[in-house]
Amino acid sequence: MISSAGPVLELRRVEKTYAGGVEAVRGVDLTVDRGKLLALTGASGCGKTSLLKLINRLEDRSNGEILFEGRDTLEHDAIALRRQIGWVMQGNGLFPHYTVRQNIAVLPKLLGWDAEQVRARVDELMHLVQLEPSEFCERYPAELSGGQRQRVGFARALAGKPDLVLLDEAFSALDALTRDALQQDFMRLQSELGFSAVMVTHDMAEALIMADEIAVMRDGLIVQRGTPKDLLTAPADDYVAHLLETPRRQMRAIKELEG
Amino acid sequence: MNAQLRSNLEERLAELPDLLAGHLLLSMAAILVGIGLSLPLGIYAAPRKHFSNTVLNIASVIQTIPGLALLALMVPLLGGTIGYAPAFSALMLYSILPILRNTIVGIQGVDPAVLEAARGLGLTPRQRLWQVELPLALPVIVAGLRTATVWVVGAATLATPVGAPSLGNYIFAGLQTRNWLSVIFGCLFAAGLAIILDQMIRLLEVAARDRRRLLAVQVSGALILLTTAAIVPSLVDFSPPSSPAQRAEQSANRTDTATLDGLSVRIGAKAFTEQYILAELMEDVLTDAGADVERLDNLGSTVVFEALSSGRIDVAIDYTGTIWATIMNRSEPADRYAMYAEMSGWLYEEHGIVMLGRLGFENAYGFAMQGDRAQALGVTSLADLAVTGERLQVGGDPEVFTRSEWINTRDTYGLGALETRAMDSTFMYGAVRDGEVDVITAYTTDGRIAAYNLTVLSDPLGVLPPYDAVIMLSPQAATRPGVARSLAQLIGAIDDETMREANRLVDLERQTPAQAAAWLYEEITE
Repeated sequence: MISSAGPVLELRRVEKTYAGGVEAVRGVDLTVDRGKLLALTGASGCGKTSLLKLINRLEDRSNGEILFEGRDTLEHDAIALRRQIGWVMQGNGLFPHYTVRQNIAVLPKLLGWDAEQVRARVDELMHLVQLEPSEFCERYPAELSGGQRQRVGFARALAGKPDLVLLDEAFSALDALTRDALQQDFMRLQSELGFSAVMVTHDMAEALIMADEIAVMRDGLIVQRGTPKDLLTAPADDYVAHLLETPRRQMRAIKELEG
Repeated sequence: MNAQLRSNLEERLAELPDLLAGHLLLSMAAILVGIGLSLPLGIYAAPRKHFSNTVLNIASVIQTIPGLALLALMVPLLGGTIGYAPAFSALMLYSILPILRNTIVGIQGVDPAVLEAARGLGLTPRQRLWQVELPLALPVIVAGLRTATVWVVGAATLATPVGAPSLGNYIFAGLQTRNWLSVIFGCLFAAGLAIILDQMIRLLEVAARDRRRLLAVQVSGALILLTTAAIVPSLVDFSPPSSPAQRAEQSANRTDTATLDGLSVRIGAKAFTEQYILAELMEDVLTDAGADVERLDNLGSTVVFEALSSGRIDVAIDYTGTIWATIMNRSEPADRYAMYAEMSGWLYEEHGIVMLGRLGFENAYGFAMQGDRAQALGVTSLADLAVTGERLQVGGDPEVFTRSEWINTRDTYGLGALETRAMDSTFMYGAVRDGEVDVITAYTTDGRIAAYNLTVLSDPLGVLPPYDAVIMLSPQAATRPGVARSLAQLIGAIDDETMREANRLVDLERQTPAQAAAWLYEEITE
């Protein structure tokens, strides 16, 4: 399933200009290595979500190259490409008229699996995201808590055994406790299943905790790229330092209390 | 009294299968085709902001046309066709807006986050439509469908005046002959039908939403059963209406026979008592001659003429003054005989319609007052009306105040100060008796003139045109001498007095038009 050589995803001088003339992405180079998690962060309007949507062609890029598994995404059929890449969005992306089982089964059914395979896969995924099938599979999204809904969202994104998963503010709408639990679960899933991931988040603490590598964006450009440790030790400019200030202050406060 | 009520009820019930079937078929066909048009149009329009606004505006304009007007407009638009076609077209147009609007609104209202998730998962546009957009918009679309159903079933009662049988027959005929049981019958059954269809659609939605196959099958079965039950009885003795060409051929084969053995003849009638009685009478006469008679009652006044000239009906009774003013568009008064001669030539040359002859009575517009009041004011003629010094009110049917008769009368006698009040002709006699209006534009053969002691004012300047009742034959019917020969016995056979009495039997004695026609037939053949 996973092809051996080279990075999963490679972006070269990628640009996106919207019809109204807004330049959301202005020449971005990025690489995502196999099995790694890249976090895209920055203030709102910096272009991180636009960049994410260029990857599975929810939007079309204006310039540059995006290589998925070594092939330009434009050479892939857009529909087939999206089915190969997992997609998790904030909070409310589940189909409200489908049960949990039906939501998770959407992609396997689109891929033409037979009923028994689909059923087995849904049960397997529900166990993976720690939802007991007998209890949850016939419920509708409206009958779930926010955390449970997001778990179903993960299961749905992973149903087609993707090599790459894209997350758009996937943890933002959750309360702190649930968010923490889900972050841990997601990292466990990633190490168990070995997929790669690109995660958009405005929360620097989340990026620091989860990511193998962080790319900080501002005005459509990447201002710094590096491991969490690189960023903490050597922020490239005041903007990055400013973004790091919030988690730092929280950490200091906690340490003082622990005294 | 009880026996009369029972016979009235039995007669109404006997009409029910045909009228209910006509009503149901007309409504269902209009709604089904309406769905077939508006649903795809709505789906296409929903993502296109500009286009969807445009089509919604057009549909809204159609919706603002009053139902009766839309139905009536369809007759000339379809080249003078009456019956099923114009009624279906108008009702179908009527069903479009609610379905179209709710389809567009329903699809546009789907949560954008859900749509983005569907795209991100790799659903094709078609899969997004069928698996996400339509299911989520379904409750809104069904709400529109239910609105359309209730509207269409209600508006289908207005199909009667354009010649499509519906539950409206009860209402129109009942209103004119003051048969309130009949009116209530029509209302109750139309409302009941609307409620039943509405609930069935609701159950179908529940079945679709909860994926309850059994319920869906049950409701669909009930719908099919209802439709078949409505259609089958009328199919059994249903003789398909033959095309004009076939009918011409049919008549050509029969020109040499005097009897009308099995020949089908269609009689049209307008929506008032006298017309019902005369249609019954002609039916009796033609049936006795062996014809197979079909009736189309309650037609709009000008619809009768359109239907006659296009051959959809074969025979009808009309009035010279009406044809003069509304069909020939003439406004000048004319002498009775000159008018008749000119009219019969014009009708034959322009439309191929043959005026067979005068029945003998005249049903003119006559200005009538309550007798005592006329005496108290010293009014005996139209000329006196202008000088009473009172603020007088004139009641009349909605048609009369736009016609040249009223305009000429007003201008000639200087009646501009009179206030006009339009009302249904059924109610005007009671209104003048009870003093709610001072003068009415009565029909001179109405039995209530004598019964309510009304005085018809004289017309010393001869402004009001003659309204001789005449038998008219369609171009096809005119080629069949048997029809003319059978009806000839009616020519000159009914004088004012006799017609007034027949009308009185229905309007005041509560007899049915059929009973009055039987009495009339006896009078004639004696």
